[in-house]
Amino acid sequence: MPTVEFPYLGIAIDPSDPFPSGQIAKRPLTRAIIRSVATGKRMRCFVCLDSGADHCVFPASFATALGIDILTLKKHLTGGVGSTANPTYYTNLEIFLAPDIQFKSYVGFSPAMDAHGIGLLGQAGFFEYYNVSFNQKDMKFSIETT
Amino acid sequence: MATTAMNVAELLKGIPEGAWVAISEDAHKVVAYSADLQTTLKTARENGEDDPLIVRIPEQSSVLFL
Repeated sequence: MPTVEFPYLGIAIDPSDPFPSGQIAKRPLTRAIIRSVATGKRMRCFVCLDSGADHCVFPASFATALGIDILTLKKHLTGGVGSTANPTYYTNLEIFLAPDIQFKSYVGFSPAMDAHGIGLLGQAGFFEYYNVSFNQKDMKFSIETT
Repeated sequence: MATTAMNVAELLKGIPEGAWVAISEDAHKVVAYSADLQTTLKTARENGEDDPLIVRIPEQSSVLFL
């Protein structure tokens, strides 16, 4: 099966008591184009392949940039480590990662993601469509194309 | 097929924490930044970049458990 290979991005983390020298967080991040099915507007952003996320979720600010009024969308409460009951508003996006990796996904927009400024590609809406291999040792991950 | 890495850290050096940043489509330069995403997008368009890559500088760099 053909694959598309992406590099991990190394993100510098400030020193802290347990990690006095700081850290480099290795994250499977890549660039994406997201397009609202409802409005046709699009934007470019970073997404992280997050196999621990149940859904795909993006910052609420991205919805505004895409011409979407989140208050007209259906709301669901979501949570993560350290946060619960985050209002998350759902709609359909087209997501483009590479020429052979583009898909439609029912995604959430949450104010809780605004602090991070990236999208998460989770189990529903991404991993259900694609087989992904993570090779952190070599700082690359691969997505099988269909 | 392989995609290429970009040196985000180098591009974002000196930009205030919490800022929304617009990076040129070719990923070579920062074209706008501000505390508000809509303002950043508007400034980017005024600077001739209609389709920038958007990223946010974290308030505090931290390990993420999302």
